[in-house]
Amino acid sequence: MRKFKAALLSFAHVHAPSYARVLKELPNVDFVAIWDDNEERGKAFQKRYSVERYYSDLERLFAENRDLDFVIVTSENARHYEYVKIALEHDVHVLCEKPLTTNLGHADELVSIARRRGLKLGTCFVMRFHSATIQAYNMLRGGDIGLPISITTTNHGTCPYKAAHWFVEPELSYGARVNLREGDPRYRGGSITDHTVHCADLLRWFLGSEVEEVYAEVGANIRSDLEVEDNALVMLKFRNGVQASIDCSWSRPEGVYPTWGDVNLYIVGSNGVIEIEAFNQNVHLATWKMKRLVYSYWGPDVDKVMITQFMKAIEEDSEPKASGWDGRQATEIMLAAYRSIKEGRPVKLPLL
Amino acid sequence: MQERPLKVAIVGFGFMGQTHAAAWARIPEAQIKAVFEVPARAPQIRHMVSEYGAKVVTNYEEILEDEEVNVVDVCLPTFLHREYVVKALKAGKHVLCEKPIALHLWEAREMIDAWKSSGKKFMIAHVVRFFPEYKRAKELVDSGALGEPRIARTYRYSAFPPWSVKGWFGVQRLSGGVLVDLAIHDMDFLRWIFNDEVARVYALSPERRVVKGITAQDHGIALLKFKKGGIAYVMASWAYPKTVPFSTYFELVGTGGILQFDNRSTAPLRLGTSEQYSTIQTYPEDPYYLEIRHFADHILKDVELMVTPEDAYKALEISLAAVKSSLIGEPVSLPLKEEVIP
Repeated sequence: MRKFKAALLSFAHVHAPSYARVLKELPNVDFVAIWDDNEERGKAFQKRYSVERYYSDLERLFAENRDLDFVIVTSENARHYEYVKIALEHDVHVLCEKPLTTNLGHADELVSIARRRGLKLGTCFVMRFHSATIQAYNMLRGGDIGLPISITTTNHGTCPYKAAHWFVEPELSYGARVNLREGDPRYRGGSITDHTVHCADLLRWFLGSEVEEVYAEVGANIRSDLEVEDNALVMLKFRNGVQASIDCSWSRPEGVYPTWGDVNLYIVGSNGVIEIEAFNQNVHLATWKMKRLVYSYWGPDVDKVMITQFMKAIEEDSEPKASGWDGRQATEIMLAAYRSIKEGRPVKLPLL
Repeated sequence: MQERPLKVAIVGFGFMGQTHAAAWARIPEAQIKAVFEVPARAPQIRHMVSEYGAKVVTNYEEILEDEEVNVVDVCLPTFLHREYVVKALKAGKHVLCEKPIALHLWEAREMIDAWKSSGKKFMIAHVVRFFPEYKRAKELVDSGALGEPRIARTYRYSAFPPWSVKGWFGVQRLSGGVLVDLAIHDMDFLRWIFNDEVARVYALSPERRVVKGITAQDHGIALLKFKKGGIAYVMASWAYPKTVPFSTYFELVGTGGILQFDNRSTAPLRLGTSEQYSTIQTYPEDPYYLEIRHFADHILKDVELMVTPEDAYKALEISLAAVKSSLIGEPVSLPLKEEVIP
């Protein structure tokens, strides 16, 4: 078995610690380095995961680790482009947190650099690696419910701002301050940026079809202390005729609700239905100390499956199951939702 | 026996007519006097009707002219509501009418006008308001526990009712399809719980029917935008396989928290046999009885209506906007200027 040398760039994203854990747990990975622009945070995680080297200078990380195979980028959304590009230009494969970028030009550039240099660029669409979604994919493609017709999806969550405040800072979550629409003081970069892409990607994967048209509505905010939106509903028409919806809201009260949120898909077909509640495998725990009920998840370790398969794609020189292109397509759907909100009407894809 | 002040005629004795009859039979102040049905169906219902001590009537005029009958309960197909309701109101009867109020706004308006000039009592049977889980949700929101309502989701789905495959239900221009006939429950409930009016509707409904041989839309998903900025997602379907029991789900998120109930997983009783496995809601009281008890109290004691004819009009308007949006592919603003049910 080949051994991979890996580094993790930035612990800004709340998913980073789990990826770091996986890198430590996998026997064929040498987790050699961490880069983080926040030195205190970087060093704390270096210690927690016993990683050999910490860098505050990204160029130095690449200069001193020339045998690096791949990096995982878990920075703020708006910085993905810069860090992924640097890594690719050092001929290192990259697995990037979603959304790949918040800008289509940037996504296209990253995909094309990776292609030109023969590198693997993957997007962290972890939901493609869950045993329930994989089995559902096989049932759907096997014709168990006939042809898919209409799909209702949700990716609810708690607002991540207390764990990582940049999620609600438009410059960092979206890369710019762009008003949602005329007369609305809120900026792009909230729950639509964070939570549209998982379901959008699952739908594209399940259907093997691209989105033709997007319509979205944003509600008044649940939390009044945010500059960005925290709830929205998105409707999709696919080229193959399937209709779908995404609820991407940060609508679960943090610190109170028993779990972080959900990824649910209700697929209505011509001859049956498939219902997925991917995070419905929990031990319910309540203690006097916690003063609330908590769901302790015991389902598939999707992060581990995803990283393992990304390494397999490197080894076999095959396209990652959730590629940079898939990241780009999901970003386009997310951007179309924003445009629909701005214009108050359905928006056709591809975006010009 | 003491004289019963409410002499009821049930008009239409299909599934809903029979359900209402069972509820009226439990109202001590009421007596079912007559049941109207078309001549073709009269013989087969005669036995059931006689159990209530009522007679079967095949000529509606006979009910209108019966001075003893003071309550008419219209459980006919939706496309007949206007004609039968208006005639009953003009004949001086109190009227209960199944939801949806009608298929077109002009019909609903005509019914409301007839009611206002009649001086009689008139209610549309939006029974969901009498279901205890929905009622509790409304009470909790009104208590302020949830803060300002922001975003809601409703699901309501089942197989296509087996009794109606060949009937009016499956015909889009007679029932309005799933967005009118089924989703209207949630349209009404959402208006009620948001305590707000809908400003805009966007909906998708597949062109392909899952249920074979019907023209009615059998699956629909809709986004509602409320005036005060709340939004809601509505999914209504008759496209589920018959193995799936009738299911509902509701969640509402407000500035103060979240409220959810799920009739798919929350029920006190389950039955498994060699043929089927089902989850059973056992209601502390039959919501249809509560609905009819409420209408009786409205007539007898002038108790304030929980759901007014204007509410029913607004719910229909939202459903019609959803149908229109699903056909033209654009969001539709309210009030509705032009209706579309092809």
